[in-house]
Amino acid sequence: MTKATTYLNETSGSKRRSSYIKRYWQLYALLSLPIIYFLIFRYGPMYGVQIAFKDFNLFQGINGSEWIGLDAFREVFAMNDFYITLRNTFMLNFLDLIVSFPAPIILAIMLYEIRSGWFKKFSQTILYIPHFISWVIIGGIVYQLFGTQSGMVNEVLRSLGFEAIPFLTDKSSWLITYLFTGVWQSAGWGTILYLAALTGVNKELFEAADVDGATRLKKIWHITLPSIKPTIITLLILNLGKMVSIGFDRPYIIGNTAVREYSDVLSTFVYRIGLEAGQYTLATVVGLFQAIVGLVFIVGSNYISKKVTGDGIL
Amino acid sequence: MTGQTRRGVMKKAAGTVLSIMLGASLLAGCGSGDKEQSAGASGEAGGSKERVTLKVEVFDRGNSPSPHTITNNWLTQYVQKEFGDPNNIDVQYVPVQRSEETTKLNVLMASASDVPDIVFVYDSSVFFRYAQQGGLTDVGELLNQYGTNLKSYLGDDTLKFGQLEGKQFAIPGKRAITGRYASYIRQDWLDKLGMKAPTTTDELYETLKAFKEKDPGGLGDKNIPMGMALAPAQYETLIYSFIKPVKGDLTYSQRYELPLHEGFKDAMQFMNKLYNEGLMSKDFSLDEEKEQLGKDIQNGNVGFWSEDVDNLFYADGTLDNLTANVPGSKVTPIDAYSNPNEGGKHIKSRYGSNGMYIMIPKSSKRAAEAVKYLDWMSTGNNIINIYNGVEGENYEMKDGIPVLKDDATQEMKDRVYNGGDMAIISNGKAIGDQAKNEAAWIAGFPANNQEMLRKSIDLANTDTVGPIVFNGPIEAEAKYGTALNDKLKVIMVQSTMAKPDQFEAVYDREMQDFMNIGGSELKKELEAALQTLN
Repeated sequence: MTKATTYLNETSGSKRRSSYIKRYWQLYALLSLPIIYFLIFRYGPMYGVQIAFKDFNLFQGINGSEWIGLDAFREVFAMNDFYITLRNTFMLNFLDLIVSFPAPIILAIMLYEIRSGWFKKFSQTILYIPHFISWVIIGGIVYQLFGTQSGMVNEVLRSLGFEAIPFLTDKSSWLITYLFTGVWQSAGWGTILYLAALTGVNKELFEAADVDGATRLKKIWHITLPSIKPTIITLLILNLGKMVSIGFDRPYIIGNTAVREYSDVLSTFVYRIGLEAGQYTLATVVGLFQAIVGLVFIVGSNYISKKVTGDGIL
Repeated sequence: MTGQTRRGVMKKAAGTVLSIMLGASLLAGCGSGDKEQSAGASGEAGGSKERVTLKVEVFDRGNSPSPHTITNNWLTQYVQKEFGDPNNIDVQYVPVQRSEETTKLNVLMASASDVPDIVFVYDSSVFFRYAQQGGLTDVGELLNQYGTNLKSYLGDDTLKFGQLEGKQFAIPGKRAITGRYASYIRQDWLDKLGMKAPTTTDELYETLKAFKEKDPGGLGDKNIPMGMALAPAQYETLIYSFIKPVKGDLTYSQRYELPLHEGFKDAMQFMNKLYNEGLMSKDFSLDEEKEQLGKDIQNGNVGFWSEDVDNLFYADGTLDNLTANVPGSKVTPIDAYSNPNEGGKHIKSRYGSNGMYIMIPKSSKRAAEAVKYLDWMSTGNNIINIYNGVEGENYEMKDGIPVLKDDATQEMKDRVYNGGDMAIISNGKAIGDQAKNEAAWIAGFPANNQEMLRKSIDLANTDTVGPIVFNGPIEAEAKYGTALNDKLKVIMVQSTMAKPDQFEAVYDREMQDFMNIGGSELKKELEAALQTLN
């Protein structure tokens, strides 16, 4: 700003400004929509953060409740369940990163390699569909398919002479069920960004490689993968930033009492103590904690990204 | 350079947009506030002359038959005609999904403007929490003024449940029938094996083993000797047949207080044995809604099971379906569990004499009308009509008992599809003493199932143990109840599904956890409260 004001004299500057606004006011009007969204849904609710520092009474409202300092934080940090859910959140997210992150990359490369146009479009549509199915319905399907006694998969296994596998009630088997349901639901949709990046690849590179007698795998390794590397890194950073936040639906719906030790995560914990038990203060503390750790992760991964790729998101 | 200027402009524009928006939202806030206040003021000043709106919570089970909806059906129209119009009141119903009872109520209570004038909850700790936080209207005076019929209908014993420190913060509904659970066995399986019905827990175990080994249903992998679900009707029946009640035929009332009883471990051990020997439903831990169990019973895969006393007997219900699916199947109610810690008696749980806690939020401006509404419900034939429909069309009175007419059309039956949820002051058809209530209840079932329901109720009433009523709230219940309830399920599932040689370790670990997250505080408080009763 200082540079600009010294360079331009006042009158011409404001003139230019007013004509500029006149010309572009429609764009600003459009911009106001997302700003309104953020103010109402992202900044407005922050007013309620103070509940974490108050002995919240439902009937006195936020202002009528008494300040209690950090008492609620002490109570939460003394809860065993808090650490279990925190550990599970990290564990599920980390495993998800390992299993679900490479899946769309592989899938995108496979789609890219498909030569037949109609078959490519057909498979893409099939792959996108799970993304549009809500977790409630997926949960219903999973329980129908993978039940130990009456699940279809186990009925097939038993008829083939194998032992039934407790996909949903044994902790380790459940983890696999959880992870692969996630892959099934999101991998197809995740290919979109990679496919978009792949359309930008210069075809001449492949032709040149053909002339040099490169095999398909060689071409994938030396041309396709390097060209989507920036996209992979950006998405990886974004995913790392989300390590501490976990959706509510998936662990809540796929989880059950038998695997509570693994399936209980921060979001389900907040739901349980907040909405079910009505301990709003404690639930807010956990939510706030989650937000702060999330912020640390975002800033941290941004820092790393700037160091590594010279580009960040902040 | 231009970049810099542009940024400045953008900042300014954003600032303008921001301030406009904030201003607008502030104005909007004021506007709605004013409106509400003026409406409230005029309502109070106008008194009964002006038409007012009374909002009443109602459970929505998503089962409204067309053309009825949960907020507009034969019963809502009946209430409007019989109660609303004569008193110049518009009665409006606010649906709350049955499965979200407390969750939704917590949200409703937090908003002073949306909360209905009449709300209710089954969980006493929720009621006590609201009362202690000052969110409920003290209805003592209002009851004397507008609710004399209601008071005599409920009686002092029932009303006591809704008091805290001498103030009447809730109006407890009356419970018509206190029997809860009964157990059933496939008689045709027994006959095929030439076995007698088991009368003790040990005999039951032998029977279940025979069911598994000899597979009288010829079901192979599908054979489930004992049907189990992670639902109270199944596990409470089993657990009660091992625990020692703390005070004669009374014991701690909350489900999550079961682990504090002597004998709880024996119950877990028994479940562990059944599970590991393949004698009970393998996926019981996934079946919190009893859905799978219901299917398994109807398909004829289950040999023995426990259920809510009425559950099997509804028209086209579980029993009717089983009879249709498996020709030759025969079910008998039996009292197989015997309690080794209580002299072999068939100990089982019974309800207290109260139903749900009906409450009027403090923010309600229609407290008087709310009490009038409940008072109206307790007068004349209203309870009977809400449950049964129109006299002469839906039912006829025989010896003071409403007997459903078989020739009532479906359209007539649909009138009262949610009668039980509308008659909030009466949980079940509370029209007289227990015997009369039971007779009235049974008369509402299909004729071919009435005899077996009678037997089930008689079994459910045998050797029952009821809830202790303390003089005040147990603080630890409000504080730890939800967490402990959750933990109870974990204890049951983990110790049942553990390998037999690991049972001790798993059980001890989970119980330790239970005590740590509030169980020991709860135990201390309960024991102290128990002392004050004597």
